[in-house]
Amino acid sequence: MTEATPPGAQQATPPGVQQAGAQQADAQQLLVRKAEQVSADLAAQDAGWQRGFTRRTFLAGAGMVGVAALGSQLVTTKAAYAASGLSNGNTLVTIFLRGAADGLRILVPASSELGVDYLRTVRGNLVPAAASMSPLAGTPGWALNAALNPLLPFWNSGELAFVPAVSTTGITRSHFQAQQCLERGSDTATTGWLDRALQQLGPGTTFRAVTQGSALPSALTGNQRKLVMSSLKNFSFPGWSGVAPQSEAAIRTLYRGLPGPLGEDVPTTLAALGTAATARAKAGAQNGAVYPSGNFSKALADLATLLRAEVGMQVATVDVGGWDTHTDEVNQLDRHLTSAANSLAAFLTDLGPARRSRVTVVVMTEFGRRVQMNANGGTDHGHGSVMWLLGGGLTGAAVHGKWTPLTAAALDSGDVPALNDAFDVLGEVAQKRLGVGSVTGLFPGHQFAPLNLAKTG
Amino acid sequence: MATTFWPSIAAALRNTPRTSRAPMVWDPASLLMSRFGFGIESKTRADLVRYGLDGWWQNQVAFSRGPGAGYAGHAGVAAQGPLLSKSPAEVRAWLKANGNEYGWEAMDQLTRVTLGLQAWSRGQVYETSVDFFANHLNVANHSDGVWSSRQTMDRDVIRRHALGSYASMLLASARNPAMLKYLSLASSTKNAVNENYGRELLELHTVGIGAGYTEEDVKNSARILTGRSVDSDYNYLYKPERHWVGPIKVMGFSHPNDSAAGGEAAGEAFLRYLAYHPATAQRLAHKMCVHYVSDNPSPTLVAELARIYLRTGTQIAPMLAAILRSTEFWGSRGAKVRRPAENLIATVRALGVGPGDLSKSLPSLHWMSSSVGQVPLDWAAPNGYPDVASAWRSSGSLLNLWSYHRGLAQNWYDGFADLDPASLYGSVKPRTSGEAITQLCGRLTGSRFPAAHVQALQTFLDEPASTPIADSRLRWHLTHLIPLILDAPQHALR
Repeated sequence: MTEATPPGAQQATPPGVQQAGAQQADAQQLLVRKAEQVSADLAAQDAGWQRGFTRRTFLAGAGMVGVAALGSQLVTTKAAYAASGLSNGNTLVTIFLRGAADGLRILVPASSELGVDYLRTVRGNLVPAAASMSPLAGTPGWALNAALNPLLPFWNSGELAFVPAVSTTGITRSHFQAQQCLERGSDTATTGWLDRALQQLGPGTTFRAVTQGSALPSALTGNQRKLVMSSLKNFSFPGWSGVAPQSEAAIRTLYRGLPGPLGEDVPTTLAALGTAATARAKAGAQNGAVYPSGNFSKALADLATLLRAEVGMQVATVDVGGWDTHTDEVNQLDRHLTSAANSLAAFLTDLGPARRSRVTVVVMTEFGRRVQMNANGGTDHGHGSVMWLLGGGLTGAAVHGKWTPLTAAALDSGDVPALNDAFDVLGEVAQKRLGVGSVTGLFPGHQFAPLNLAKTG
Repeated sequence: MATTFWPSIAAALRNTPRTSRAPMVWDPASLLMSRFGFGIESKTRADLVRYGLDGWWQNQVAFSRGPGAGYAGHAGVAAQGPLLSKSPAEVRAWLKANGNEYGWEAMDQLTRVTLGLQAWSRGQVYETSVDFFANHLNVANHSDGVWSSRQTMDRDVIRRHALGSYASMLLASARNPAMLKYLSLASSTKNAVNENYGRELLELHTVGIGAGYTEEDVKNSARILTGRSVDSDYNYLYKPERHWVGPIKVMGFSHPNDSAAGGEAAGEAFLRYLAYHPATAQRLAHKMCVHYVSDNPSPTLVAELARIYLRTGTQIAPMLAAILRSTEFWGSRGAKVRRPAENLIATVRALGVGPGDLSKSLPSLHWMSSSVGQVPLDWAAPNGYPDVASAWRSSGSLLNLWSYHRGLAQNWYDGFADLDPASLYGSVKPRTSGEAITQLCGRLTGSRFPAAHVQALQTFLDEPASTPIADSRLRWHLTHLIPLILDAPQHALR
């Protein structure tokens, strides 16, 4: 429950809440009180953010001496709350396919009723041959690109679903604008929708929002603390390990008693190094999972390690590039899909049925591609795309939402029309899986209409 | 604290109580170099002694308005941006000739040159103003539609007016192809008015939310600016046939706007009205005080800057000078947390690491700033990078910065001139381990560390302060001690 002391740190292990009954009850009380304080503090910070400056009040350290080490972590330790029932313990993993992935070659409307005949007339071999598609049982004719076959077991277990013809109001065919709109939850918001979700959820651990990559995605921009991690392997004190423990000890002293964000963030970061080291020590795929090579796969393997270590992760984001298939789409896209499917299947297998029941994965992209194939065997920028949902908490294997059979007349300027709203999907998952109370603030101006794709709890 | 204003910078300093926020100690030169520059550096310290505060200020302004204008603050860095002097059409032609008509090289050059000038330009005051206004009128570099034109926003709008008048900067921005593309004004027409630019103009560029404008005002703000667009070469072009004709009223501004041909002039009148609006003065003054003084500046200071802005015809340099003539500024050391990229550049400056091979060191600074989430000019939203500490809380960034402190002190990266760590002791060689720590802290952070901090560093060396330098573990640990000092709050704050 508490974060471990970093290896080699020249300090005693902080008193843990698990030590004794009476002490535990006291600590629990402190946790709750501290959580309330921190919530108020975060609200004040947020108000400051809105005005462009901050009137942040600092948490008083006095009176917390006996549990000082513990208290400094509780500022952000949702893991502790998770154990005390203040969080539902679920995790949302969002995966962004940057570049606009072609939904029509991922989830294929493969029956005449869904419009495959028209599709064949305008996009030729971009419609997979029968042998290169896997029909999705229980649907009226949807099929999966065979490159995604590694995910079929999860369809059969009710842990895979899709939403086709998905977009949101205001999305244009500009990569940049559409990504920003989707990630900020509106055309005009200046913070990200996930940041606002975290704000509603209240204080959490250092690990509550993890971004795998080199930079913070727009979905997480804002006031809430988050962790940008290029890899779990590198999440350690930098430089020569021979002086790392001494360096950490010195830094702890240098920041002791410092008021303000740094006075909180430095000790939490140092403590998080210990948590990461503990998690790392238990890294390694379980349940026979085999991760393919590649950065996406590595990122998911790291997330699985952190999830197993129960570090209080509430949201995680991963970006995967390379989906802008203007040329030679059959080869380009299927290569990416094969890698993505193998990585995701390994991730879900690695977690095992029990752990992944608390993990919901949403895969999205900024927009779909033009229905008609271009002269280079690729597709240009389009509109409606496909969202994928994987893991726990789904209402079952299904293709959700509306669909209009594809004909020339049914298209929106030559593209799959936007029949389903991405914010309805994200909002439902945030509400039912993460326990975000109201989605109004997450997607300003959006009329929320859930699709009944996730279960509460 | 009550702030007072003095006729000169030196007088303001003389009349300021010698206070700072712990653990920072009073050191006016370090404060100045960390607010009106990208970090402390020994050559600038010498200049301050030589010319005095007011003389240094005048030199800085004169240099950046004269020989150091634009990109000329560092010739070597400027040479790394050959595309920055080109027109959008020329950039596109160059990109096409070099393999990818839609490539990112011009945008990348802008990033690299910006970082290089922050680190090594002689015009440090200018670079801080460029940074401030580039964020205030943000056009995300590396966004769609500005690949061939983003440099014109930097060159012809921000750098041209960064020490000039804000009204001129605003008017130039409303004719800039990158701005027009970024905020969709280029595609706004009388039949399909796009409100994007019209709204941000009010909300972000001028009067701000809370100034009392309505949704109808936003619509009119967008209507009066229709017609401002770009030609096929991405040069600014007013297209009268796209202009929305009819009476316009926005807040206290009204205009008959009765002809398509006169639409551009009507727009100029509107922009000028906004630039000179008291709410714009107040808002810009407040943002400037947050950037240069503290996250929570006094209303007195803000009001004085707003007054000067209006009195001088929206001049920027007198506002900056007014900050320096206030006691509030001089008493504010430690009130700002360095944002991640500011910490990175301040590290380069504190160590005195030279650019070496700029074709390598600038790309290194680019990826480093990316890994801490603050590539200059790359903030995606129109509101610019946040300027308050609470917005930058990230364990990942902290670890990366601690890594760069080590890497730059230990010569890990290609391109930077090798650092001789012993040179950081300065001209007086320390006799003991304790003296070495004191001298390094002073040199790198401009601060005398409190006893507990000195003791922590001494404990790191695992030897008494009295240890003669010849016997000290510093022989092996100097390049490990230096980054530790840069990890300290005395470097993290400014």
